[in-house]
Amino acid sequence: MHAIQQQYWAVREYLSPVLKESKFKEHGRITPEEFVAAGDFLVYKFPVWTWEKGDPTKARDYLPADKQYLLTRGVPCLRRATSLAYTDADEDAERLLSFGDSSATGSEADEWVETHAGRKPSHDAANPGTIDDIPDLDGDDHPAGGAGVGGVTAGMGNISLGGGAAVAETPDLDDIPDMEEEGLEEGDEATAVAPKAAPAVIDASNIEVAGGNLLQVRTYDVMITYDKYYQTPRIWLIGYDENGTPLTPPQIFQDISADHAFKTVTIEPFPHSASLQAASVHPCKHASVMKKVIERMNSGMIEEQLAQQRKSGSPVLKDTKPSSSSTVKKWPFSRKASGSGKGEADEEEIEGMRVDFYLVVFLKFIASIVPTIEVDSTTSF
Amino acid sequence: MPIVQFAPFASLVQPSFWHELTSLKVDVLRLSDDAIPVIATYTTGRSVKDRETGQEIVLGCNVTVGAESFRKGHQRPSAGAVVAQGTVKNFNTIEEFKSADKSSLFNHEADIIWESILRNQDTSLLTRFLLISYADLKKYKYYYWFAFPAFAAKPAWEIDDRGWVSAEEAFSQDALNGIYTQLRQSQKHASFFLISDKNQVLGVDKFESETQATIAFIDPSAATNNPGWPLRNLLAYLRALYPQKTSSLRVICWRDNVSENSPSTGAWKSRFGVLSAGASVESTSRLTAVGWEKNMQGKLAPRVADLAPMMDPASRLADQAV
Repeated sequence: MHAIQQQYWAVREYLSPVLKESKFKEHGRITPEEFVAAGDFLVYKFPVWTWEKGDPTKARDYLPADKQYLLTRGVPCLRRATSLAYTDADEDAERLLSFGDSSATGSEADEWVETHAGRKPSHDAANPGTIDDIPDLDGDDHPAGGAGVGGVTAGMGNISLGGGAAVAETPDLDDIPDMEEEGLEEGDEATAVAPKAAPAVIDASNIEVAGGNLLQVRTYDVMITYDKYYQTPRIWLIGYDENGTPLTPPQIFQDISADHAFKTVTIEPFPHSASLQAASVHPCKHASVMKKVIERMNSGMIEEQLAQQRKSGSPVLKDTKPSSSSTVKKWPFSRKASGSGKGEADEEEIEGMRVDFYLVVFLKFIASIVPTIEVDSTTSF
Repeated sequence: MPIVQFAPFASLVQPSFWHELTSLKVDVLRLSDDAIPVIATYTTGRSVKDRETGQEIVLGCNVTVGAESFRKGHQRPSAGAVVAQGTVKNFNTIEEFKSADKSSLFNHEADIIWESILRNQDTSLLTRFLLISYADLKKYKYYYWFAFPAFAAKPAWEIDDRGWVSAEEAFSQDALNGIYTQLRQSQKHASFFLISDKNQVLGVDKFESETQATIAFIDPSAATNNPGWPLRNLLAYLRALYPQKTSSLRVICWRDNVSENSPSTGAWKSRFGVLSAGASVESTSRLTAVGWEKNMQGKLAPRVADLAPMMDPASRLADQAV
């Protein structure tokens, strides 16, 4: 039962203590201070991102009042993720991505698999057909509660997002009052004709997925909040179609890779607004994924920096803060590197991944969940 | 010589705008349907490179309204954005919305712009918009129609045979860098400005005293051969005030976002062109204005935003129970 779950989550988040001690390398979680530091870095480096205050009554006191969440608007999304449907023929397209130097130690099992490398969207996927209902996991087998709860549950099931009801609720063009006004304006020779977009089929069950050269450019507003319970950032999406009309949940799910669409991505009330609803990737797995990525990047970075140090022939500088001009890539770290498994004594003072980079890495991870939304403007890294 | 064609504004309404309008309607406006002042923002035109085809995809000439549009004194647009002022007229019933005298509402807005040109010589009202709406609060449906009045020059502006070229062909790298830096440091976020022959950024009011100024504006369009909508009223402004000096105008469509860290990573996106006006009858009567936004089918008709699918089922149930 989604509503009760949401209440439960809200209470749980309220009650859970604020993480005080930095743990980002041990288990991928960060403190609010580190979230702010990483956010500052992101905003500085990529000015498309800005800090937002949000609704003052919803402000979280463990974050600065003017740095409640991060926002970027109008992120383009050229294709539907459903048009990247995965088939056996694509197996060759997988490639292992390792963060940092390939000579880094670490078990191969931790390699990051990128599928669909360099794939063209398949034209067979031009019509993905009906989007399945979102499985209502709690709908049928809710153990507790008497008939009353059951009744509400059933009612909830009927109006659950993406279900048959939602299809009926999507904008129906017949509903728009027929009020085309012929005489309102004469034709104007100096008005550029907008490039004809794809026929606007709004029926959610039959949304045309752009294939080939016809593109439906959707845009997304992307927000990153700090989730106190999971102690990780959390990402939120509000989508618009090419006409600037808000997307419905089934339409948003077209832009989310099939592995996540109906499992970890849900429509939730946005925590910094009284009324706004947004699609969100549930953060329960963020920490463990981030830990893996950070470990790999970290050990890669350390290798690289060690090599650089050896090349320059300088002695290992103990107890010295790395000077900012000494290396091209600065990854100073202040904590003991974990997981690299060798030469701990030396590495303690060598640079590693800094927590500032957390959100940059986080966006790369999110880009794998929403492959066609260009959230990752950080590719220059 | 080809006629200059302008890329019309495309409205983008954030859901937070409708939520804000709803609470305003319920708590403050109630049955009043007086026009409320709001602001919208737009930024330089954007395009995105398609990673699969390598094509540059031009994004819409967007003008955005959100929750902050209602806040008075909200003059801090987000980085690189400029403000357009406008009014919202929200009707109480769908019938009133349908039968509203749209021409007179539209002409009222156009009059305000014309007034600001002739009497106040003020450029801040040149990009003005009108939004009429009907909010079906129970169904979370919002019917709306934007208008961006622009004066249609008769005869139309023409561009010389070179057409629109990259700004690099008319200005040196140093000059562009200088303009970029001045815009970046300016606190005013002006939508329109002049570039003097010494490449200084000036206010449009200096047009009379400058001999070889290039007129410039923050261009929300990214289409190669179509300048954005705001240019139309800037041209009308200059034509009306300085008929002698405007038979030929150098125009730069400023498309390089000054909020980004460095302009030199790619080529300059700004466009340059030389426009000329046909002989016009000198008169101070108002030009006819155009600018109702077309709907998705390209017809002159309102649009509808349906927020119901995005609403939380629980809160919807609760609302209906009241």
